[in-house]
Amino acid sequence: MPKEIKSKKAEPKSNMPLLIIGAVLIGAIIGGIWYFSSQRSAPATANTNTSTANTATTPRPTNTISPNAPAGATPPNMTGSQAATVTLEEFADFQCGSCAAANPILSEVKSLYGSRIKFIFRNYPLSIPAHDKAYEAAVAAEAAGLQGKFWDMQNLLFVNQQGWTAAPSYKQMWKGYAERIGIDVAKWEADMMGIAAKGRVDADLARGKAIGVNSTPSLYINGMLVPFSEMAVPKLKAIIDAELAKTSASPAANTAAAPAGNTAGNTNAAK
Amino acid sequence: MDPEVLEEEGPQRRSALIPSVAAIVAIVGLADSIYLTVHHFTSEPVPCSLVEGCEMVLNSQWAEIAGIPLAAFGAAAYFTAFSLAVLTAFGDSRMWKLFGAQVTLMAGFSLWLVYVQAFLIKAFCQFCLLSAVTSMLLFVLFVISVFVGRSKSRTSA
Repeated sequence: MPKEIKSKKAEPKSNMPLLIIGAVLIGAIIGGIWYFSSQRSAPATANTNTSTANTATTPRPTNTISPNAPAGATPPNMTGSQAATVTLEEFADFQCGSCAAANPILSEVKSLYGSRIKFIFRNYPLSIPAHDKAYEAAVAAEAAGLQGKFWDMQNLLFVNQQGWTAAPSYKQMWKGYAERIGIDVAKWEADMMGIAAKGRVDADLARGKAIGVNSTPSLYINGMLVPFSEMAVPKLKAIIDAELAKTSASPAANTAAAPAGNTAGNTNAAK
Repeated sequence: MDPEVLEEEGPQRRSALIPSVAAIVAIVGLADSIYLTVHHFTSEPVPCSLVEGCEMVLNSQWAEIAGIPLAAFGAAAYFTAFSLAVLTAFGDSRMWKLFGAQVTLMAGFSLWLVYVQAFLIKAFCQFCLLSAVTSMLLFVLFVISVFVGRSKSRTSA
């Protein structure tokens, strides 16, 4: 009799743990997939109201560039127009996967806006073991820049990041890039050892540190930090258009015919 | 009243409390690990509001093993811990020993990861710290259950 009671009590319990475990497993898988897809689509969707998106887009205390921050490498690596009223300043690391992912997005933005914006690239190699070649890569890009080919080298380093980042012969690969972009390879190698290229990287690093850059890529539009979750062409377009609209509303800053001496695009300008 | 049934149900109910709490804690750890795994694959930065340097931690060489994010291993470990805790809560006390062995390893590994963040990377990631807290909590729950078990056996003796 007692055994009968016991088996009656035990039977419904026997499947329950497996049901709970199965439910949690399914929940975890579905939840993970749902969150993954929502994260993927988040940059393309304006004003996503999920809690994580809100937290991610909440400006951090260091979201503006202090006017007192060091200038960084001078002249900076810049595209667009010096006279543009909207300045994009990116701090990036050549071994950072997110920076490589942001590169085509920013290239598209640059080609979309042309001379209506000023785009500045700052080297910000992180001092972490996983980014052991980041500083050297920045110097390699700057050394190419001394021959006027910074952007070509910068692009090749990002496009081929996966290839060279784990390769023991990464310097040979970079040499191949130098040959490909048609610079004097011997001079480039000598410049990599010299202080000019390193000095530029160090100057950019000093600027980034003073601003409070703590992750890469960090993009500032007119001195305001853009969260990485906004790093998509439509979102960046919205921010840039809003900035352009602000300046075009002012009669003194006509973006279509900005005077050459206009310094409104000062990278130190904090908003 | 059947004394055999009473004896069987009494301790089972009492001992189910700690595994049940452990299962809930493991779910928190599981959710945290899934969150970090997703962020690893989407390359979306995690919010870094409490501490600084989240990206440095999550982009570090310790963030993955053989191309698999550490957080994915964490998710698997938390799910296993959850399963073992649930099985224990429903009466399979052998699973609690496995749970104990697993959470001891997890707690030890978490302590090492905290050391890595503090002294090697010199930056912290709040979600990694949450994972360390949950695994330590699981370990503490197991230790408590061992002491509760001992005091019970003394009382019954």
